[in-house]
Parts: sequence; structure tokens; C-alpha cells
Amino acid sequence: MNIHEYQAKKILSQYGINIPKGRIAYTPLEAKRAASEVSFRGPWMLKAQIQSGARKKGYFLDKKAGRKGGIRLVKSRRDIVREAEKMLGSTLVTVQTGPKGKLVSRVYVEAYNKVDKIFYASLVIDRMAPAITLLVADTKDEDIAGIAVNKPEKILRVPLDLITGASPEQIQNIMEFLKLGSKVAKNLETFINGMHQAFVDYDATMIEVNPVGVTRHGSILALDAKMSFDNNALYRHKDVSVLQDDYEEEDRELKASKYGFQYSEFDGSIGCIVNGDGIALAAMDLIRAKGDFGTACFLNVKGGVDKDKIAAGIKIIMTNPKVEGILINILGGFLRCNLIADGIVAAASQVGLNVPLVVRFEGTNKDEAKDILEHSKLPIIIADDMEDSVNKLIAAMEDSD
Amino acid sequence: MSILVNKDSKVLIQGITGTQASFHVRRSVDYGTRVVAGVTPGKGGTMHLNVPVFDKVAEAVRETGANASVMYVPAKFVKDAVREAAEAELDLAVCIADGVPIKDMMEIKEMLRGAKTKLIGPNTPGIITPGEARLGIFPENIHRPGRIGIVSRSSTLTYEAVIETNRAGLGQSTVIGLGDDMLIGMDFIEILDLFMKDPGTDAVVMIGQLGGTFEEAGARYYKSLPDKKPIIGFVAGNAVPFGHKMGYAGDVITKGHVTAQDKKDVMTDSGMVVVDKINDIHLELNKIFPRND
Repeated sequence: MNIHEYQAKKILSQYGINIPKGRIAYTPLEAKRAASEVSFRGPWMLKAQIQSGARKKGYFLDKKAGRKGGIRLVKSRRDIVREAEKMLGSTLVTVQTGPKGKLVSRVYVEAYNKVDKIFYASLVIDRMAPAITLLVADTKDEDIAGIAVNKPEKILRVPLDLITGASPEQIQNIMEFLKLGSKVAKNLETFINGMHQAFVDYDATMIEVNPVGVTRHGSILALDAKMSFDNNALYRHKDVSVLQDDYEEEDRELKASKYGFQYSEFDGSIGCIVNGDGIALAAMDLIRAKGDFGTACFLNVKGGVDKDKIAAGIKIIMTNPKVEGILINILGGFLRCNLIADGIVAAASQVGLNVPLVVRFEGTNKDEAKDILEHSKLPIIIADDMEDSVNKLIAAMEDSD
Repeated sequence: MSILVNKDSKVLIQGITGTQASFHVRRSVDYGTRVVAGVTPGKGGTMHLNVPVFDKVAEAVRETGANASVMYVPAKFVKDAVREAAEAELDLAVCIADGVPIKDMMEIKEMLRGAKTKLIGPNTPGIITPGEARLGIFPENIHRPGRIGIVSRSSTLTYEAVIETNRAGLGQSTVIGLGDDMLIGMDFIEILDLFMKDPGTDAVVMIGQLGGTFEEAGARYYKSLPDKKPIIGFVAGNAVPFGHKMGYAGDVITKGHVTAQDKKDVMTDSGMVVVDKINDIHLELNKIFPRND
């Protein structure tokens, strides 16, 4: 789960990390008031709150929003209202959002802070180590996206101890790597260990501050912040789970996640129901290799054991208007195939089955599952293996054209 | 022959009294697995599925000589369950639960450093040596005893690989799901090493998955071997478009966006035969082991 910049900054500030003074605003008027609250005079930063990086280089789909990106420097109070009007309710596209972009429903108004130097800092889990690993890079000449691709050697990777964070030697190395003056040392230590402690305390999976600003006096400021959390640990952090922004999720995705399933949409016309990531990917590969239909969406019911939830999940696929054929590949282990069969029958009886549906069952209780489908009298095609299932579905879809 | 488990493995079940656990343990027992004890705190002294239940793993080990565990405990109790298994010095612990918090797994990895206990999982179907022992949730009816080792990151594709070996007229020595999670216990290197040394395994099927660089590490190990048994490899995910993400840190840590094709290339370079379609595995197996029927 991700949260917005202003929410992440608030968390980081509780760990001794300096952030620019800022207020959140949902309307242009609120933005104006927020500006007065954070600073007597401009300039201010007006920042679209969507959960994505590269907002500054992004563009809005709406004409009214103008040509500038999602992060704007504003000099006068009057311009605050004008720019907030442009951004609020508009859709911002960045290299990280995909072409559909994301709707801006709130803007963050911050006092502008002049800094002498900027750098990139993030904490992420290096799963091979495994360790929480700090990544830093000097971003004066090139942004992190470019450095990551062209000059990975310009990124310092520092594995941190889970309990104690960065050691004094590690802090020293980072100081030298970033060529920071000695008066920054203490502040850098506070900053890095603050990030680390927030990461550990909140079961984060990623914290990214890009850029970090260093002022003339050697203070360190988090000028931006992104934070992602481990969904599996949210039960320990009720204060974070309430920050979930439903607008950031696709409708169907959200519905599926409420049943404990995973749902993703793509550009094609075949809806897939599977019970694992691997099989989902393998099915998508085959669909692509076999023609032009492509995958419209897949629903991963994982190890679901509740018949009603499975039926509800299947309905999400059946009611997606882009779906012209349904492919169900279940390799039952923990998940029992008969539950899926019951779910298909229940879902079809509620919303109707108007497109070809091919099922391939293997593993736990597969014969019972086939019996259920045969007795249902639904026009369901049964396949023997994964490739066979894709072939049969594509043949049926071509026939019904 | 086999790796890690066989008909002599003495298995205890952590969280034996749960509904799902009972369903699968009964099937494992019917399959011939030597299940000798169960552990459920607070239910010590009772019997469940005809085996004695203990409050603690250590007690169960002392009383029954168990040397392997299958954990059916919910994700939030996994850390404590692994600690008990490690403290009781079991050889093997298999963790089925999905949804174990990453921080808990980091602590578990730390805990197991230098410990005798090897962890498989979490979020795994487990390990099965066909005809001998089933530790986990495998659909046992698809397995046949044989001489092909299978190791997979993806649970469901493990079953797919098993079916492919059957189609080739072959069977499996041991089948292992490493687990779908971000952090896992045993990895490709450790399992491939065991298969390479196992006299009962003639070749290996290795199924990779997007995320992390476990496949690359396994391939590097394989490449370094002077003598190697054949490996047929597969990685799903060629058709996955570059989706929405947040921030750059993920790509930085893997030194760029790693695709399924990148993984396949590294595996091919190491000397593995890598297929594009999982249903082609049986064809490659038959090139090495021609059918005699």
C-alpha cells in the first residue's frame, strides 16, 4: 500500500526529519488559506498529490490544467488559487502512472526552501541479502531515473543493520560519497537513522526522498517523500491502513482486494481466472503467443477457500465489458477445484454467461469439479492442459465473432 | 533416492488442529508420510488424527524423534513457529502460510543464520518425494516416483512442471516449491546443489518467477559446476507490460528493470535448456530421455 507525499512527510517528521512547512488543500480556497499559514510571502510549492514519482515532468490530460507538470512554483497568492484551480480535478500522467494517469483530488502547499545541494536517498529491501538497504546518489547533474539506467556506479548501496541502522563508518562513507561538508554529519545521521527507524516501525517496503535538500547552514530537508507499506503487516498499523486512498485503485481492483484476491487489467479481451502469480503470467504469455486477443484482466484467487468470495471474484471478470472470453486455469493444491466450479456456477446464475468460457482443472478435487460443471448445463468447455485451454478458448472466440 | 525428505522422515505438524491443516495432514498420512506428532499450544496431551499433540515443538521432538515440521500456522504466528523449530534443531521446516510480513521474514532469516534448520517457504506448496512423503499441500495424485528433480518459485507452475514430467513418461525424485514471497528460506542454489549430488536425480526442471534475482544466482552457481546434470528451465512473464509503479528504488536495487527474458538469457547462458512455453518441457525432457514406448 502506498500513501501520499504529505502523509509520508508527516510520518518522517515524527522521526526527527526536517520537512518544509506545508498544508494539504482540497479546494483552491483552501490552497490560498494554506499558503498564508505556511509562509507570509512566496514563493510556494504547489504539489499534486498522486501516488507517483516524476510528477514535475508529468503532464495533465485536461486542457484547463495548462502545460506545466504536477509540481509548480508559485510566486503570488493570487496565482495559488489560479494554479490550484487548474490542477484540482485534472488528471496527471507521469512515466510511472501509465497513460491513463491519475486524478488529482488534493494539492499540497509548501513553503519554498532554498537549498545549496540536493541528493537522492531511499530505503528498500534487498531481497538477496536480505537487508534494508540505503541507496544514495548525487542528483545535481542528472536525475535518478537517468543515473539508474546509465551510471549505476554513481549510486551508493549501503546495507543497514535491521536493529541498529547505519553505523558511524557507514555515515562517514556516505558523507564522502556525497561530498558533504563536516557540519552536515550529525544531521545526516539523524536523517538516515530517522528513515530507517520509520521503515522498521511501520513495516515499510520503500521510503524514497527525492530530492533531499542540504541548506547553506548544513540542515537536511526532505523536499519530497514516498512511502510504501507491506500489505501483510497492515494489521499491525491501523493508523496507516486508514490512509488507503481508494481513488488510487481501479474499481475492480479494489473490489477484488476486498475478497483477498489480486486483480490486474491489461489491453486485450480475454479474462483469466487463476490461482497463482506464476500460472497467471504463463497463461498471459501463451495468450500473447497465440494471436491478437491479448489478456483483458486476470483475477488471482490465490488459495481461496470461501465459495461465496470466489463467486464474487468471478463476477468481477464476467461483468467486465472488455472481456470477450474467459479462461480459467486452476491447479488445485490448497485450493480445491470444486470450490471454483461452485463459484463459476453461482456467478453465472447471477450475472449470466454471455461469452465462451474454457476451464482447465488439475489437482485437488478436479473430478468433483468437472462433475459440478457438467451437471450445471452451462455451455462450458473443458480443456486438458494450459495450452489446450488457450487453443480451445481462442477457437471458440473466433467462432462467435 | 531423493533430497531432504523420504519415507523415513519423522514429521511433526505445527498448527495441526486447524481445519485446513487437518484436511491436508490426513491426505499426507494416507500418502504414507510418517506423521509422528502435532503441536498446538494449549492442546498438549490430546490426540488429533491419531497422533499425540504437544504444546511445544521441543517436547514433541523429545517424545517422538521428529526431524521435520510442516507449519500450517497463520502468517502472524510464523515467526514464533520457526523460532521453535530452529530451537528444537529440526532438519527441515516447511511453511505453507502466505502473507508473512517481510520484516518477520528478515528476522527469521537472521535467526536461521548458522542454524541447523533449513526453511522451505513461506507461501509454498511444500516438498514431496513421490511415493514416500508429502509435506505440504501438493495435489498428490499427479505425482509419480521417478528421477527428475523439480524446483520452482511459483506454486501453481510446480504442478504444471510435474504434469510435464509425466507427459514425458518420467517421474519425479523430489518436488520443491521455494515459495512465492519476496523473502524465502532455501533458494535455487541450495536446492540445485542437493539435486546435483543426489544419485536418484538425473535431471532437474527449474521454474523461475519475476521479482528478485534468485534465478540469476542459481544460474551462476550452475555455470560454475564442472560436472552438471541437465536442467530444463522456464520463467513466466514475457507478456507482462511495464505497469504502474511508485518511485525508482525497486529498479535501482536490481540494477534496472529485470524482465522474464533477462532471466531466461542468464539461465541459457549458464548451460540450461530454457523453454518459451511451459508445455514444451516434456519435449525437451524426451530429447534427453527418449521414450521407449
